[in-house]
Amino acid sequence: MIAFVTRRLAQALLIALGVVTLTFILLHAAPGDPFAAAAESPYLSPQAIEQARRNYGLDRPLWVQYLRYVGNLARGDMGVSFSLHRPVSEALLDALPNTLLLAAAALILDFGLGITVGTLQGMRAGTRLDRTLSIVTLALFSTPVFWLGLMLLLVFSQTLGLFPVGGVTDPVLYPSLSPLGKLLDRLWHLCLPAWTLGLVGAAGTARYQRAAILEVVRQDFIRAARARGLSERAVAMRHALRNALLPTITLFGLTFPVLLSGAVLVETVFSWPGMGKLTVDAVLRRDYPLVLGATVLAALMVVLGNLLADLAYRVADPRTREER
Amino acid sequence: MLRRARATLGLLLGPLIAAGCAESNGCEGDWCGTAVIVGADADVLFPPTMQGDVANAIVDLVFLKLADIGADLNTLGDAGFEPRLARSWTFEDSVTIRFQLDPRARWHDGRPVTASDVEFTFEIYRDTLVNSPQRPMLDRIAAVTAADSLSVVFRFDRFYPEQFFDAVHHMRILPRHWLDTIPRRELAAHPFTRNPVGNGPYRLVRWNRGESIELAGDSTFFLGRPGLRRIIWQVVADPGVGITRLVAGEADVLNFIGTPENLARVRQAPHLRTVSYRSNQYAYIGFNFRNPARQREPHPIFAERDLRRALSMAVDRAAVVDAVLGELGTVLEGPITSFMWIWSDTLKALPFDSARARRTLEQLGWIDRDGDGVRERGGLKLAFELLVPTTSQLRRRAAVIVQEQLRRVGAAMSINELDWSTFLSRAAAGQFDAIFGAWALDPSPRQLRQYWGSPGIGGFNYQKYRSPEFDRLVERASATGDRAQALELWHRAIGVITQDAPAIWIYAPRPVAAVHRRFENVTIRSDQWAATLWTWRVSPDNLLPRDRIAVH
Repeated sequence: MIAFVTRRLAQALLIALGVVTLTFILLHAAPGDPFAAAAESPYLSPQAIEQARRNYGLDRPLWVQYLRYVGNLARGDMGVSFSLHRPVSEALLDALPNTLLLAAAALILDFGLGITVGTLQGMRAGTRLDRTLSIVTLALFSTPVFWLGLMLLLVFSQTLGLFPVGGVTDPVLYPSLSPLGKLLDRLWHLCLPAWTLGLVGAAGTARYQRAAILEVVRQDFIRAARARGLSERAVAMRHALRNALLPTITLFGLTFPVLLSGAVLVETVFSWPGMGKLTVDAVLRRDYPLVLGATVLAALMVVLGNLLADLAYRVADPRTREER
Repeated sequence: MLRRARATLGLLLGPLIAAGCAESNGCEGDWCGTAVIVGADADVLFPPTMQGDVANAIVDLVFLKLADIGADLNTLGDAGFEPRLARSWTFEDSVTIRFQLDPRARWHDGRPVTASDVEFTFEIYRDTLVNSPQRPMLDRIAAVTAADSLSVVFRFDRFYPEQFFDAVHHMRILPRHWLDTIPRRELAAHPFTRNPVGNGPYRLVRWNRGESIELAGDSTFFLGRPGLRRIIWQVVADPGVGITRLVAGEADVLNFIGTPENLARVRQAPHLRTVSYRSNQYAYIGFNFRNPARQREPHPIFAERDLRRALSMAVDRAAVVDAVLGELGTVLEGPITSFMWIWSDTLKALPFDSARARRTLEQLGWIDRDGDGVRERGGLKLAFELLVPTTSQLRRRAAVIVQEQLRRVGAAMSINELDWSTFLSRAAAGQFDAIFGAWALDPSPRQLRQYWGSPGIGGFNYQKYRSPEFDRLVERASATGDRAQALELWHRAIGVITQDAPAIWIYAPRPVAAVHRRFENVTIRSDQWAATLWTWRVSPDNLLPRDRIAVH
């Protein structure tokens, strides 16, 4: 197991280097100037733009900039953001917990709801309930995540006033709240963005899970379990679900990057200051160090997500342990 | 059902969240009031390097200048300027101004503000390693010297009428005792830039990146206690979300409503009112005078003055403004807006006259011979590309209307929407036929040089418009201290450029802020909307619960 994890972590570093190189080339090949982005303002001059390029070393040859960046990165220095005027690592560390919180909440909803609904559908395939849920999950799965977010905002925030319009906390109240109050305030603000991201994911997961259950319930061991007189609930929970989970675990590893990309839109709709929003803004401003830092971090997170899925798979299915 | 849902959520969360609010009734005497302002996040809160509007507004409340421009935004001499850190000033000779600092002025850590701080501030703003965008605007200041602890002397390399404006407008005074040990190369990214110690009516309490920025009023502020005890900038990713927060009662102020749709939503909210102020921004369609493929050569279409004039007259700008901005915009009549002291409603751009535009095009030999709807001359089609930034919804909408109006006179304009950074890069490199540009101005008319004068070629005069007559008039106007004479020269310069038509002057947005009705003494200065925010207040009869919450 240790050798497996070590091998995967070494692969992760190689992937990160590949991602850095590719992103570096693409960023510099793209048209646009990081220091021209504030033009149309009375507070900028062409001289200041030129000076900024010199101060940040953008007047050097590209290969020099690349080697310098990779060297600094190896020492843990991700550079200083052009647009935020602060170390990239600090900016990422500020945004990362918000993204992880949102992604974790959305994952729980996604898989909790998706597996439950999918299992229910699979065990009652062909019934009216199954058909109704199929239509609902298909509709949800086809819904653009930003549109769903806007609709939830419109209904639950603006019309019903049950949830805040956005943000991570209430900036007026939060500093004066007790620790419990602070926790609840955060959860209250998390609800709509997490449901937005989680619902669309859950619809997809449910459809996977339904198919997996249908595959499993045709197997002999399910027939044998039923022949032994076990209740439908026991058959579903103890036998069908556990075996049908394997493809869903694979899905878990694939879902993580999807959640990260989906989070960009949700973060924008709900003013949620996470990695997605930070990265998109950085790309638009051609903030090279911030884009590169965010890309490396995202790549590592995706690799780690897949590693976690592989480990979970090995735990759930003993055969894979023997094969490796 | 709805009532039950609300009650259930309220029962669950209300007492628990409020459990931490024992100190919510934290008003001290009659000093209450919290303003929640929605907007983007700031970049830094360090005056020499900050660039965004939000940072500007916040820095205005945290750091003072020596003196502040008056409500009429005059930039000639010192007329209308109001004392801030400087209690008084004297013009010792034509190139020397002595400022006497107010002995009551203090940094937020309690130390006095001294002449040494002013001297140090000038060094910082002029340092190429700090690279302040304001650095070129201080070029004519030869030296800033502390004469004693409370008097400081500015010396200029020559006399010009806006000396006083340059001395006080571009620099917010910085604390030497916090900054002089930090290497200049590290200053721009130093933690001080995110957690500054200032000298203004408000001090920074906390900045949660991407979430909010909180300021607390300084009850000992030497120019008088600010009207509101607490100001919170709540970060929203999108102005539409900001409007939703205002309408929902979660926020109090949005300084720029922007679109007619947003204005309609604000007007439907009984607790909000609108406050208009003068615009410092304008949008124009600029013609490239140089061939984008071979920039030594003139542009094959736009180098011709009468052609540019014909295209300008073909555009019904009033219709564009009406369709895109409605009452939130005005037709632009040249390269300045109504917020400048040189503005006059007698200034007029070329009028809309499509019949004359057609006649002129025909006289110039642009005729649609092949019947495809596009005029041609000598094998060259009257067709060109307009670059529009995708970030500007207003410009994108306006471009489509202009395209249709030009089509009616036989000119084919294609629209190329580019992301912001690419748009600006291509504009700066001269790789365009026409651009839908925009400028935000500061109060000095001297900027006309850099945007439209020959000295701006290679800089912000993207069009490479060159008129010796315009340059001469701008130089003379900039050097004239007599207000009436300067005004006449500025108007002549603007007359030259509007007749030359290097651009179609499209619109100036009419800024309107949405403000909660409970605020009193609401004034907005056109160049810096938050400059007078410290004088706003809430009457004790109109306090909301959030107005009473103490600063933590």
